[in-house]
Amino acid sequence: MAEVERFLKDMGGKIHAKIEKKGRLYFNVDNADIREIAEYLFVKMGCRLSTATAMEMYHGIEVLYHFSHDKTGQYFCPRVVIKDKKNPKVNSITSIVEGAIWIEREMFDLWGIEFIGHPRMEELLTLHHPNPDLKHPLRFKEVA
Amino acid sequence: MKANKIPVGPFHPLLEEAEYFELTVDGETVVDIDMEIGWMHRGHEYISEMKTFTQSIYLVERICGICSTSHPLACVHAIEDIDNIEIPLRARYIRSLVGELERIHSHLLWLGLAGHFIGYDTLWMWAWKYRELEMFEIISGNRNHYGMMRVGGVAKDVDPEKIVELQKHLDMIERKMIMISKIAKDDPVLRSRLKGVGVLSHEDAIAYCTTGPTSRASGVPGDVRFDEPTDAYDLLDFERIVLPNGDVYDKLVVRVLEIIESVKICRQCLDKLKTATGPILNNVKEISPGEGIGRYEAPRGEVFHYIRSDGTNRPIRHKVRAPSYVNIPSFKASCKGIPIADALITLASVDPCYCCTERSLKIIDNNHDPQKLDLLKLSREKTERIRREINAD
Repeated sequence: MAEVERFLKDMGGKIHAKIEKKGRLYFNVDNADIREIAEYLFVKMGCRLSTATAMEMYHGIEVLYHFSHDKTGQYFCPRVVIKDKKNPKVNSITSIVEGAIWIEREMFDLWGIEFIGHPRMEELLTLHHPNPDLKHPLRFKEVA
Repeated sequence: MKANKIPVGPFHPLLEEAEYFELTVDGETVVDIDMEIGWMHRGHEYISEMKTFTQSIYLVERICGICSTSHPLACVHAIEDIDNIEIPLRARYIRSLVGELERIHSHLLWLGLAGHFIGYDTLWMWAWKYRELEMFEIISGNRNHYGMMRVGGVAKDVDPEKIVELQKHLDMIERKMIMISKIAKDDPVLRSRLKGVGVLSHEDAIAYCTTGPTSRASGVPGDVRFDEPTDAYDLLDFERIVLPNGDVYDKLVVRVLEIIESVKICRQCLDKLKTATGPILNNVKEISPGEGIGRYEAPRGEVFHYIRSDGTNRPIRHKVRAPSYVNIPSFKASCKGIPIADALITLASVDPCYCCTERSLKIIDNNHDPQKLDLLKLSREKTERIRREINAD
C-alpha cells in the first residue's frame, strides 16, 4: 500500500521490529521519537488516533498507539516499550493530538505510566474511588 | 460578573452511565466545561483476560445494553484479525443485518430523548413506539443481548419464514421513518431550536478524534463500514451520510437519514439471505499467538477492540474503546459560548449512552433558586418561546 511504503520510506530510520499484515502495521519506536512519529501520522498523513493500549509484559511496559488512516482503512500502531517498570515514563503526544488527553490519563491511572508534557496528569477513572489507597490497579501486584 | 459552576450528574436523566459535567457559566453563557468519568468502571478488560475467547464475546456484549451487537462484533473482528479467519457469506449478511437493526433502534432511542429534552414529547412517543425490538426477538429470541456473534460466523440462522415476517416489520419502519424524517427536516420550530446550537467545528472534530454521527455532522467522513468494510458491507449498496455544519440539527438529520439507509441495508440483507445458502459458522479450533484489531461502526461511532493472544485459549490483553470515550471530550469545544438553555441538548447531541436514572441537580451558589437552573426546564422553555414567536409571525 502506497501510504505504508511512504511512511516506511520517510520514517524508516526510527522504526524497529516491524510486523506487517493485511491492513495493519505494528512497529517499535524509541520514546524519544514517539512525538515525531505521532506528528507525521496525525498531521501529515491525516490519521485519527483511535486509542492507545498499555500492557505490562515481563520485558517491560508497552504503550501501543492505534492510528487509523480512515481513507484506506490502514492501521499504524507505534509501540513504545518502557524497561523501567518502577518508574515508567513516556513522552506525551497531547500537544499534537488533543484527543489523547483522556487516553493518556487513563494509562496513568490504571498502569502508572507518567506522560511527560501532559497538561493534566491525574487519575481519570479512579479519581473518586472509595478506596483512596487504590493506585494503578492493572499493574502486577509485586511491582506496583 | 461572577462565574457560577453548575454540576450536571453524576446521576442525571441525560446520562445513561454516571458521568459528571461541571458547567462554568457567566450569566446565561457557558464559558467552560469540565468532565469527570469513572463512576461505573466495571473492569471488563481485566475480566476478559480471565475468560476464553468465546466467553469474552458474551462478556463484552454486556458492556452496553444498546450496543450489544457492536461490542461483540468488534471483538470477533479482533480475534479473526489475528489469524485472518474467513467467515461464510451467509453469516456476513446476518451480521450486517443485526448490526443495522441495532443502529435503527439506537438512533430512534436518541431521537426520542432529544425530542423530550427540547419539549417535543410527541416525537419522543413516536420514536419509541417504532423502536423495533421485536425484530431482534424474531432473529435471536432476545430483545437485548442477542448472543449472535461467534468467531468464524454467527450462532443462529435466519429461517425463510422469519425473513417474510422481518420484511413486513421493515415496511412499517420505513413508512414511519420517512414521516419522522420529514418532521425533523421541515418543522420550523425544530429547525430554529437546533440550527447553530452546540457547533463542533470540522477542525475540532478532527483534533478530538471524534467518530460516528458526531464527526460526520461536522463534515468528517469517517465511517468504518466504508473505510474498512467487514462482514457484508462491501456487498451492499448504501450511502455515507455527511453534513457540514456541526450543530445539533445536523447531528439529528445525520441520524434520521442513517436510519433510512439502515432500512435499505436490512432489506438487501434479507433479500440476499433468500439465496445465499451454506454454513453460518466456520469451525475455529485455535487462535495463534499474535495481535488483532477489530472495529465496527456502532450507532455512536467506531467501537474499537484490540486483542493479544499468546496461543492459549484466552487473551493476554483485551483493550476496549467505546465511541463515547472520544466523543465526550469534544464538549470542551462545542459547549463553550452557548446559552445555558442549550447545554442539555448539546450534551445529549453526541448520544452519550442514556438511561433512566433519576436526575440530580445541585447548585454550588446557594443564592440561586434551583428551579430557575433546571436545565431540562430551561431547554423546554426556550423551545416554547421559539414556537410562540414563529406562530405569532
